[in-house]
Amino acid sequence: MAGVTFKNVTKRFGPVVAVDNLDLEIEDKEFFVLLGPSGCGKTTTMRMIAGLDSITEGEVYIGDRLVNDLLPKYRDVAMVFQSYALYPHMTVYENIEYPLKIRKRPVDERRQEVMRAAEKVQLADLLDRMPRQLSGGQRQRVALARVLVRKPTVFLMDEPLSNLDAKLRVQMRAELKRLQHDLAVTMVYVTHDQIEAMTLATRVAVLNEGVLQQLATPKGIYNDPANLFVAGFIGSPSMNLITGALENGGFTGPGVKLPGIGGGDRSGVIIGMRPEDLAVVEDAADGHMTAPIYSVELTGESTLVTVRLGGETIVVRADKDFDRPIDSEVHIRVDPAKTYLFDARSEQRIRV
Amino acid sequence: MSTPPATSEATRRAPIPGRTRQKAKAALIAAVIVFALVYTVFPVLWLLINSFKTRLDMFAIPPIWLVTSPTLENYYQTFVERAYLTYMANSLIVAVATTVASLVIGTMAGYALARFDYPGRMKFHLSFWILSTRMMPPIVTIVPLYLFFATLDLLNTKTALAIAYTGFNLPFVIWMMKGYFAEIPRDLEESAMVDGDTRLGALIRIVLPLAKPGMVATAIFCLILSWNELLFALIITETTSANTLPIGIAGRITQYKVEWGEISAAGFAACVPIIIFAFVVQRHLVRGLSFGAVKG
Repeated sequence: MAGVTFKNVTKRFGPVVAVDNLDLEIEDKEFFVLLGPSGCGKTTTMRMIAGLDSITEGEVYIGDRLVNDLLPKYRDVAMVFQSYALYPHMTVYENIEYPLKIRKRPVDERRQEVMRAAEKVQLADLLDRMPRQLSGGQRQRVALARVLVRKPTVFLMDEPLSNLDAKLRVQMRAELKRLQHDLAVTMVYVTHDQIEAMTLATRVAVLNEGVLQQLATPKGIYNDPANLFVAGFIGSPSMNLITGALENGGFTGPGVKLPGIGGGDRSGVIIGMRPEDLAVVEDAADGHMTAPIYSVELTGESTLVTVRLGGETIVVRADKDFDRPIDSEVHIRVDPAKTYLFDARSEQRIRV
Repeated sequence: MSTPPATSEATRRAPIPGRTRQKAKAALIAAVIVFALVYTVFPVLWLLINSFKTRLDMFAIPPIWLVTSPTLENYYQTFVERAYLTYMANSLIVAVATTVASLVIGTMAGYALARFDYPGRMKFHLSFWILSTRMMPPIVTIVPLYLFFATLDLLNTKTALAIAYTGFNLPFVIWMMKGYFAEIPRDLEESAMVDGDTRLGALIRIVLPLAKPGMVATAIFCLILSWNELLFALIITETTSANTLPIGIAGRITQYKVEWGEISAAGFAACVPIIIFAFVVQRHLVRGLSFGAVKG
């Protein structure tokens, strides 16, 4: 078992910089999630660990071993691909056996290991099938079993759940988390789905355009975003953002006046408020904003109320019993302690 | 609310245009297939019938379709009196050597072009250059090739033929295999390499089994090309030791007469190995093995 370390790693594809000067320390036995929108460099980062993409500059260590020029087969990592990459001409059994066969392990041992891995992911009945005869969820489990037969130092998973339907995804998510707990291995997991990141990770690295935006626990990136990108990317529905200015110890924007926010007088400020930190109140005197309802969506455990404020739309997570007609005016209360300020130009957090 | 029964009756009896059109389409397709079959099979059949005829029957008018007194005289002449068995062996050796060499080299080159990065536009230029060697008529290269083999002291050898044919097959094989490899998801090899295999191992154990239909189709093409080739064989080879079947058959058109009986017998016999080969490998031609590899 070992961690993974990136030291000033840059990856260029021709003129395109995919990963820019990345410093990262993934700890041993950690469930580490690389999160970001598509094209942010997260998959490239993972492929550099696996040895599938070369490293343009910098150093990558697995444990304390420099692996820059090591072939994938010598890195002792296992990877689940987004497409699962099952070998179509081999049965499920042969697929799972393949990593052991390559290592020329004795046949008896191979059989034992394959059976054990197959049982762990409930595939024991399907060993004679071909991949094309399996459902998406079953294929996913074959891919998992194929990494489980080995005992690699690092597990890599490239969006392993993205091809599954919603229900199965939630179920497999729990299984993956349990699996990582049972095996006590270092897991590097790539996803663009912030819910997966929040639920699975010990720590999350948020990437955008090849640059590391923030590295923190799921709680950390949710409660204490480092910049506008992280604030907007994490959370569903995403954070409400209003551009305005700080004046007289409060925030002023189109249709909003929020007292009790320090930081001195400055213009070009964006205030962020999570829908779950806003509340609909009865009395206009208790509210900070008043706006007409644009739409109302019941999600089951709560109601998402979208209002029109100036040119912006603001989403409020209200009680599940919320019931007001569209276009009626509502008053919204903001908790000043649960707001985030950002510089509109640099998009960095303003801490007060 | 009730629908008058007359209406539903009428609806049921009305011809369904879609189905009629489908039938017409099927009939048309059948007609085309029958025509193509007759067009391609008839010459072979005529060759077979003629090979059992005596010289007199062969020129009878109206033509004799059913040979009432078949003779093996033509086959005796061809395979016992003359050296057709040697020609056939020569053809076989040259064709197999050509096919194997073309496939081995072409597969590796095709793989490299499908998978590896080349600086700048090198990949495009290299691919085009390979293809461009097929753009000139082969006869243009005869004199240089003759001198080339003369220098190497390879004239009148099967080796020279195999080298020449391999050279002509390669661009085709490379382009075919490049296309087949490009269709196979990269993830499969990358997965194999992370699983602990080398690139060569991944190529042999994962990629080649999936590219098999393509390799088989290409192999048939290579085999037929060198089996049928006449022009180069005529120039490069001279004696029985290296002459191939097409030369032997063409040689029966002599200054004084055309030995139709022998030509028919040898011609039909020449078809047999290729037909057998095609039947043997056709089960490998099924496509779609790679379906189910990745998300379905």
